[in-house]
Amino acid sequence: MPIVSARGLSRSFRVSEKDPGLAGTLRHFLKRKVRTVEAVRDLDFTIEPGEMVGFLGPNGAGKTTTLKMLSGLLHPSGGRVEVAGHSPARREAEFLRRITLVMGQKQQLIWDLPPLDSLRVNAAVYGLDDREAARRISELAEMLELGEELHRPVRKLSLGQRMKAELMAALLHRPEVLFLDEPTLGLDVNAQAAMRRFLADYNRRHGATVLLTSHYMADITALCPRVLLIHAGSLFHDGSLEQLTQRLAPRREVRLELADTLPASAFSGYGELESCSGRDVRLLVDRDRLTTVVGRLLADLPVLDLEVRDPPVEDIIGRLFRQGSIEQP
Amino acid sequence: MGAASTIGRYGRSIARFWSSSLAAEMEYQLNLLIEVAATLMTLAGSLFTLSLFFGHGQQLGGWSWDAALVVLGIYTLLNGFSSTLLRPNLGNLVKQVQSGGLDFVLLKPIDSQIWLSLRTLSPWGLPEMVLGLTLVVVGTIRSGARPDATALLTGGLMVLAGVTILYSLWFVLAATSIWFVKIWNATEVLRSLLAAGQFPVSAYPPALRLLFTTLLPVAFLTTVPAEAILGLASGGSLLAGLVLAGLSLVGSRALWRLALRNYTSASS
Amino acid sequence: MSQLPSRPLPCGRNRGRPALASALRIARALFISQYALMLEFRAEILLWALSGVLPLLMFSLWSGAPAGAAAGISPEAFARYFLAAFVVRQFTVVWVVYAFEEDNLLGRLSPLLLQPLPLVWRYAAAHLAEQATRLPFVVVMVALFFLAVPDAVWIPSPARLLLALLAAHLGFWLNFLLQHAITMLCFWSERASALERFLFMPYIFLSGMLAPLDLYPEAVRRFALLTPFPSMLYLPAQLASGGPIDALAGFRTVAVWLAVLIPLNLLLWRAGVRRYAAMGG
Repeated sequence: MPIVSARGLSRSFRVSEKDPGLAGTLRHFLKRKVRTVEAVRDLDFTIEPGEMVGFLGPNGAGKTTTLKMLSGLLHPSGGRVEVAGHSPARREAEFLRRITLVMGQKQQLIWDLPPLDSLRVNAAVYGLDDREAARRISELAEMLELGEELHRPVRKLSLGQRMKAELMAALLHRPEVLFLDEPTLGLDVNAQAAMRRFLADYNRRHGATVLLTSHYMADITALCPRVLLIHAGSLFHDGSLEQLTQRLAPRREVRLELADTLPASAFSGYGELESCSGRDVRLLVDRDRLTTVVGRLLADLPVLDLEVRDPPVEDIIGRLFRQGSIEQP
Repeated sequence: MGAASTIGRYGRSIARFWSSSLAAEMEYQLNLLIEVAATLMTLAGSLFTLSLFFGHGQQLGGWSWDAALVVLGIYTLLNGFSSTLLRPNLGNLVKQVQSGGLDFVLLKPIDSQIWLSLRTLSPWGLPEMVLGLTLVVVGTIRSGARPDATALLTGGLMVLAGVTILYSLWFVLAATSIWFVKIWNATEVLRSLLAAGQFPVSAYPPALRLLFTTLLPVAFLTTVPAEAILGLASGGSLLAGLVLAGLSLVGSRALWRLALRNYTSASS
Repeated sequence: MSQLPSRPLPCGRNRGRPALASALRIARALFISQYALMLEFRAEILLWALSGVLPLLMFSLWSGAPAGAAAGISPEAFARYFLAAFVVRQFTVVWVVYAFEEDNLLGRLSPLLLQPLPLVWRYAAAHLAEQATRLPFVVVMVALFFLAVPDAVWIPSPARLLLALLAAHLGFWLNFLLQHAITMLCFWSERASALERFLFMPYIFLSGMLAPLDLYPEAVRRFALLTPFPSMLYLPAQLASGGPIDALAGFRTVAVWLAVLIPLNLLLWRAGVRRYAAMGG
């Protein structure tokens, strides 16, 4: 029984456009030019309880819009969506108790007070009695490695500590479905790693379903066995990350360390030159020609060292977004 | 999830709202000094202005100086109430709409209008409320009126009606920030129009008197409650005040639901 | 956008002109962009114009009040004064402290402070642009007022009108500089904007917004005339409406207060920016 299901989910917006300069200003004042932007187009997917799913896509792809529709903050323009047995847009209290939304760099904690005060407010709002709230607070504090920070005003905490406290506030009511919109945005490497560890741990302990959007590949690779790739509002891929890379990049990366520096033109004919800095060269070579090309490289060029590996996922996805479409092999 | 437990949950939540916001405000002790000073200055200025109209034993709109003090007192009381509950909450509403913080409110299992209206309690308006009440008492005594229990009760009721109307006006204005982005001055418009309530409504020319009893019910904010306390109010105006209070509350609710539908793009 | 010139700039004869031309270009660009910004919020413009309605309310009170007649001022005279006060208020209202607070909160200050254009001109341009957007509405409101009170229709003499316009514009700058000084204090404390109330209240009570200062008791009037507030409203309003006014004394007060406020603002600005930089922005 899926906990999230979307059928034909769509969302379009009307945006007004303005030309620059004084003439444009007056024209805009008198008559607005409006066009329709399709932010999300016909999404179909289901998610089972306990899954950790990543929404991947460039900025403006429609990830946040989708998340807002799933959490009930935005009405779909078309299609149907059901989360935890409810229609999100109706925002029934029962539904709201079972979900949570965390947005990177946006906070709900009271700025001037220690997080504990905000947590007490949330406890009352979600109908938790003090004992239960205290129990959950200490469990979450242990998982997040927060101690005396909970007693310091939020404005005095670092960004990483603040995000952890935000997570506590968001999870106090033990929601079944977690919507996370760019949760690691702006955090340093350690804080990002800590958050990923926590999310994996939480998912293990409580079996919560986690939907995560990010444009940090590391979040997705670390946490999400399943990836929904959204590009220009449409769903391009629904499966694992390995399947995605197989589909997008039937090529492998060959790294060479040369004895002398060679011009870029020397590498034409072997494969696509990815980078060439001094004596270190990286080439992308089709899988089926791999052995032939490697043989020729070793024969033709002064190679000191050679390494074959899969290209970084970031590069694959990044290239896709730059090209604007998937080339089928 | 029975109704009783829901009410209990709301009650506990509001108690926590107010205790946490009091705690947050107490972080800035200098505020108390500033607020009291500002309140005293404003009151002094208002009394001075009122006195200009009563230079040589004259009247204003048929009201004596002492009776007019009662009107000013209720105005001051309502102003204090605005500072305590209306301005902090509804100013926050505007900020949250602009910053996207409204999303967090909408995701809580608490009615969003209640959350936004009652989330913050600012103690700094309380001195003004006390001063206003004092002025009402002083004016009533000096004017020679001896209000009995009925008059006091009706007066209190009309003050509550006035509070409801005032709340609805403020809330509707703040809610329009969902459509209009820069509404700093919208609250200024409200403030300057409501400042008309310092003076008895009969002091205004007929056209404005009509406006202040219908479209912009300033009369029911200050003049009618004052009349009730002084035993001068007609049954008609009392009834009208109560009806208006009910209507304005319903209206604010309807507008909020419309605003939310727009915010969540329910219709487009 | 600054690039090294490909050849040395000519010096001497042409040195003065590029500076003035570039200043005018900057001013023009600033104004146009701020004007565009103001027009973005066309639904709110009406509200802005309406927010100055207090003088009109006071007129309605005074024209029917026995105390007004007792002071020897006719309802038509009140009408002219308060209409003039309304118009002057539209062009002297200042909100720089709120704009600054918002910029500070949203982290926009740092990039703005890095620009070679002093921040104050940006805000001043925004205010002047806003006044330009209000103009059509003010014209409409004046016309409506004349329709409602035809006895009060008048046209001031060219000399008085000119003086009134000058006084109003100078009054704007006085108001701006006063509030700007408070705004500078925001560099030291986040809550400094609360002090704006201590400017607003004396403004309401001492500027002549609630009643022509002639109606004030002698002692209070003399005190008010020492403050900058009458220069922001009473002086231009009386000049425009034809009421009795000692224009010379009025402009003298304006000059004195400008001489006080301009250096004060410069001082606070420099100290404030130093502190901002020291605190790491």
